[in-house]
Amino acid sequence: MNHWSPFRHNCGRGQNCHCILWNNEPAAESTMFTEVMLALVVGGVIYILVQKSKRPQLKSEDGWWGEGTPLDREEDVSIRPYTVRTNKEELEDLYRRIDQTRSFPSLEDSQFTYGFNSQYLQNVVSYWRHDFDWRRQVDQLNKYPHYKTNIEGIDVHYVHVRPKNLPEGVTAVPLLMVHGWPGSFYEFYRMIPLLTQPSNPDDIVFEVVCPSIPGYCFSEAPHKKGFDSVCAARVFHKLMKRLGFQQFYAHGGDWGWIVTTNMAQLEPKIIKGLHLNFAPPSKPGLPMVLSIMLGRRFPKMFGFNEHDIQRIYPVVQNLVVESVKESGYMHIQATKPDTVGRGLNDSPVGLAAYILEKFSTWTDHDFRNLDDGGLTRKFSLDDLLTNVMIYWTSGCIISSMRFYKENFSKGLDQPHSKMPVHVPTGFACFPNELMHTPKLWVQQKYRELKTFTPMARGGHFAAMEEPQLMAQDIQNFTKIQEKRKK
Amino acid sequence: MFTEILLALVVGGVVYFLVQRSKRHQLKSEDGWWGEGTPMAGEEDLSIRPYTVQTDDEELEDLYRRIDQTRPFPSLEDSQFNYGFNSHYLQKVVTYWRRDFDWRRQVEKLNKFPHYKTNIEGIDVHYVHVRPKNLPEGVTAVPLLMVHGWPGSFYEFYRMIPLLTQPSNPDDIVFEVVCPSIPGYGFSEAPHKKGFDSVCAARVFHKLMKRLGFQQFYAHGGDWGWIVTTNMAQLEPKIIKGLHLNFAPPSKPGLPVVLSIMLGRSFPKLFGFNEHDIQRIYPVVQNLVVESVKESGYLHIQATKPDTVGRALNDSPVGLAAYILEKFSTWTDHDFRNLDDGGLTRKFSLDDLLTNVMIYWTSGCIISSMRFYKENFSKGLDQPHSKMPVHVPTGFACFPNELMHTPKLWVQQKYRELKTFTPMARGGHFAAMEEPELMAQDIQNFTKMQEKMK
Repeated sequence: MNHWSPFRHNCGRGQNCHCILWNNEPAAESTMFTEVMLALVVGGVIYILVQKSKRPQLKSEDGWWGEGTPLDREEDVSIRPYTVRTNKEELEDLYRRIDQTRSFPSLEDSQFTYGFNSQYLQNVVSYWRHDFDWRRQVDQLNKYPHYKTNIEGIDVHYVHVRPKNLPEGVTAVPLLMVHGWPGSFYEFYRMIPLLTQPSNPDDIVFEVVCPSIPGYCFSEAPHKKGFDSVCAARVFHKLMKRLGFQQFYAHGGDWGWIVTTNMAQLEPKIIKGLHLNFAPPSKPGLPMVLSIMLGRRFPKMFGFNEHDIQRIYPVVQNLVVESVKESGYMHIQATKPDTVGRGLNDSPVGLAAYILEKFSTWTDHDFRNLDDGGLTRKFSLDDLLTNVMIYWTSGCIISSMRFYKENFSKGLDQPHSKMPVHVPTGFACFPNELMHTPKLWVQQKYRELKTFTPMARGGHFAAMEEPQLMAQDIQNFTKIQEKRKK
Repeated sequence: MFTEILLALVVGGVVYFLVQRSKRHQLKSEDGWWGEGTPMAGEEDLSIRPYTVQTDDEELEDLYRRIDQTRPFPSLEDSQFNYGFNSHYLQKVVTYWRRDFDWRRQVEKLNKFPHYKTNIEGIDVHYVHVRPKNLPEGVTAVPLLMVHGWPGSFYEFYRMIPLLTQPSNPDDIVFEVVCPSIPGYGFSEAPHKKGFDSVCAARVFHKLMKRLGFQQFYAHGGDWGWIVTTNMAQLEPKIIKGLHLNFAPPSKPGLPVVLSIMLGRSFPKLFGFNEHDIQRIYPVVQNLVVESVKESGYLHIQATKPDTVGRALNDSPVGLAAYILEKFSTWTDHDFRNLDDGGLTRKFSLDDLLTNVMIYWTSGCIISSMRFYKENFSKGLDQPHSKMPVHVPTGFACFPNELMHTPKLWVQQKYRELKTFTPMARGGHFAAMEEPELMAQDIQNFTKMQEKMK
């Protein structure tokens, strides 16, 4: 007769006993039971501790993003040189569209508080139409070698700059730099010479690779749903392997931050060092919340400096209101990219307003109160419009926006956002970055934060705005890492 | 004696408190001026000028040229309307627009009702004014103001107008209808100065109705029209005989709303919830939070950067059509997101849909239409008027697929004299255009009840 209870007892019914027992076992049987329970508990505790100390590694399945179904043949791993080109037709089409802009004035006295001001937009467009020399800018783009290679079914574009005249016995250190939205590989152009041909003989000489995220600029856009930052990370790992790099450093801001972070999470042994200028916390843990609540009174306890205090407090204004004011684009791009992008692909002026508004506001949000949005205080119109032209001529605005939907489709709770990063990390903290992150907050996710540098000046597009400062910080970080290796 | 004083103070305090609460707060509004520059000294122009919607070869050629130079970009495979307006179906709509849609004929249709413009607070306000013909003897027409929303227009009411001004049933009320365009929308001039919110629109429309000679009138609205007519009822409750709405999301969820959400599934009868209420509200996070986040991106960007997002839409008719028609798909039934064609022509004709788009295109009003969101949300969700209840007799038509579902209990929190609450048989957000007979019938029912009460 089976008693479902493990404890036999003497209720008088003998074998017909069906009594339900929970804690009524006779003393004689309890010793064995206790041992079993104890063993289970100890075993369970050990198991939990072991599990926690294991570093969860980000996993990723393979993908294929071409049109239709993949053809049954060997993968094309060729690397093809690519030249940026333009022609008369492209320019005439651009000018025709600019000339047929239907103007609509901004409200009186509204500066950039309703978005890109119409008066100043007129100035920018005039320059674009009459003075901006796209052919010359294309020559500038081509001064570094471009390539395309097919990975997971789509053509991936990248710039690859090998240093010239390396001193004897010196190997170049490979560095991958990943852009964000609405930026491009072009944001890194002023930094590249500082990294590949540093003037200081003690500086590290880098070999630089700047790819375009699939769906951006000259990289082909995925044709299938689901291409998120982890997919981009995996694709870039394949790229670097194909280029022959066993290990390399990675730098990123904006989407580049998440893509390079995912790369470090996917293959921590391959990323020698991770350098970032943007790292908003995805999951505010207890230390961060405590620091927000108590940081103003006990700044030293949380390592807050004056600038941290200024950027965080008052909390509701700085962390909530400011975010709401500036995240409309993110909200609509993460839900209806094909809708909001459609008009932008037909109207160059509309596209310029949409993109350049970010170069104004994300460089310093006080620029919203300026008639010209402070646009040319830190950037030249030539550089700004070159970036816009990359989006215009490639027609990539819609696919660039889809990246937001793919990355937010599971809400803010992606597996990778819950995983820490154990690769040596350096953080350049620019004072006007969109989301300010004090050292404590960065450390929550980046468990091997080696350098944290409060930068003298600069905002969200720091690589383009302050190339010397950024290059210098990358140098400092990498030198520390490379010395450790020796 | 101390006890007596304390008691007196407490009683006095309680009485004062009760008296304060029972005072009906009236919404106040200062005057405004929205023209360019500074107002010129001189008498205000009160003239009412007839207006004819017009088009010409140039307008059509420009439209076709722009359509022809659209730069296509395919939607992701198997994505239907989940990433926004699907490129394949957009191609079909645009082909119809380019080859078959007859804008001249639609313009004639628009002109079958008389249009006017009149200058109020410095800007030209457009409206359609339909007086009933052949009124039976001794019958006065009941004046009715109908206010549209975004991305709609006065055109949404066109199929309803004959049902209201020339009802077939002799027992039905005969209405005299006024359908204005909110300043910044359609053929109304856009304000040139900051700050033109729903209360300003309400005040302008009160001036309009006064100028047309109406002492009292009924008002109907959905979407922005809901807030504008509600503000009108709050500004001048004696003038609005009755308020009829099909959209009224709670601006401030009070205790009854919160309790009903928490307990409504277990005790539906306690809160007056019917089956449809339960279906629309639960599960709460999915229906009230996730759905809202999925569909409010446009609201977020328009309430913060209208001049940025609107700029391209004023140059690209195809972009404008995608942006506007996406709403006519998703807000009619959010399950339409999973259809290749967005279910767009299940409830609407392409002619009607494109006529509405053409009103936005030919008037070039998309940017100013979006600014209304910024003006209304600039103080956050905490506008004075959103905290004030409404004491004007109200009728609510509850359409099953409305964007935000509001059970009777929730509507009653703000509309303290809710006279009718009608669960409607079918229809979504653009109910006036989708189900004109059902809407007109509910307006009839509500108004009859009110008129009998007089």
